[in-house]
Amino acid sequence: MTTRDLVLVALFAALTAALGLVPPITVGFLPVPITLQSLGPMLAGLMLGPRRGGLALALFVLLVALGLPVLAGGRGGFGVLLGPTGGFIVGWVVGAIVVGALAARLGRAGARRAPDLAGAALACVVGGIGAVYALGVPWLAMVTGMGLGPAAASMVVFLPGDAIKVVVAVMVARGVQRAYPIALR
Amino acid sequence: MSPSLYVPGDGPLHRLPAGAKLAALAGLGIALFLVSSPIVLGAAALAAAGVVAATGVRLARMRGALAGIAIVVAIVVAANAWLVGWREAAASGARIVALVLLGYALTLTTRMSDLLATLERLLAPLERIGLADAGKVALAVALVLRFVPELMKQADDIREARAARGLRVGPVALVVPMIVRVLRSADAIAEAIDARAYPPAETDSSRHGPGSADHDNA
Repeated sequence: MTTRDLVLVALFAALTAALGLVPPITVGFLPVPITLQSLGPMLAGLMLGPRRGGLALALFVLLVALGLPVLAGGRGGFGVLLGPTGGFIVGWVVGAIVVGALAARLGRAGARRAPDLAGAALACVVGGIGAVYALGVPWLAMVTGMGLGPAAASMVVFLPGDAIKVVVAVMVARGVQRAYPIALR
Repeated sequence: MSPSLYVPGDGPLHRLPAGAKLAALAGLGIALFLVSSPIVLGAAALAAAGVVAATGVRLARMRGALAGIAIVVAIVVAANAWLVGWREAAASGARIVALVLLGYALTLTTRMSDLLATLERLLAPLERIGLADAGKVALAVALVLRFVPELMKQADDIREARAARGLRVGPVALVVPMIVRVLRSADAIAEAIDARAYPPAETDSSRHGPGSADHDNA
């Protein structure tokens, strides 16, 4: 890993933190503002690839554990990681790896052709939503003791926001790649 | 961004070494999942509240965090009482209170630099076989602390620039320029780090200890 890779890893960890700190944004038809923080793993995976993207989110989780207020709403610390939503935060690491691995195979980030965009979107759905929930939901079920079914059912309200974030992530990745390409690895 | 959720103090928990606190938290965390009796878990929650009180941090400073914990617990207990039953709801509520308060006590009483030093010690075996580099981890943490305010400033500038033209800022219009502007400086930062020969390159035979890492940013 070169120094530039290290700087990029730090940059996307910082971006994930910054996305949680900017005020929530109203998007289109959604009635409630959404926080942009979960864009972090999708963008890191799409733009840095599985290895650096995963490291970026692992660094972010380390910052949470170190007690920095980097989660949406200025939260942080070990307590959050041990709490009901801790699995989603740890799941972002796996999510970024999956997004990166799939995106590298399915589509060239920044390309304008429909198949490439669809590939990037699919990578975000599987990694940024699927993989994150695959860790977060069992964790939620275990910590709260509510059982897998109800825990999974309670996630339905977040899916519209997640779907919008997939579209945003793909558009952002394309926009950045056209302005300032980073080599995927 | 305030630098850390750590609150300076001189209580017994502040003086305990970070490694001991981490080990205790890990052990207690596992133990809490092996117990299912609401009475034992309730006692654990009370004990955890006692630990937070023993940090000596004034209640006013903790109000925000404690309110956040209370909301999460209220939701979980209400959902569980409705779905499963009161006994289970009480048990899981008490377990979450105990876990989160213990974690919170660690965060309140432990300097970020001490936690980083503990991490470096834990990484030392991996470092010996070449799988990790504690110096690089410390550098990466320092870089993030530098980047976050920079990104926040970009976000403000972009928002203002769009507002001045009477435009609403959507997520794409906000995040793309945020990333591109900081990416431009990333190359310069990487060159500056290399020019100072820090951290020691992978091919470099001189292996500095983690002590060479500069983390006065706490």
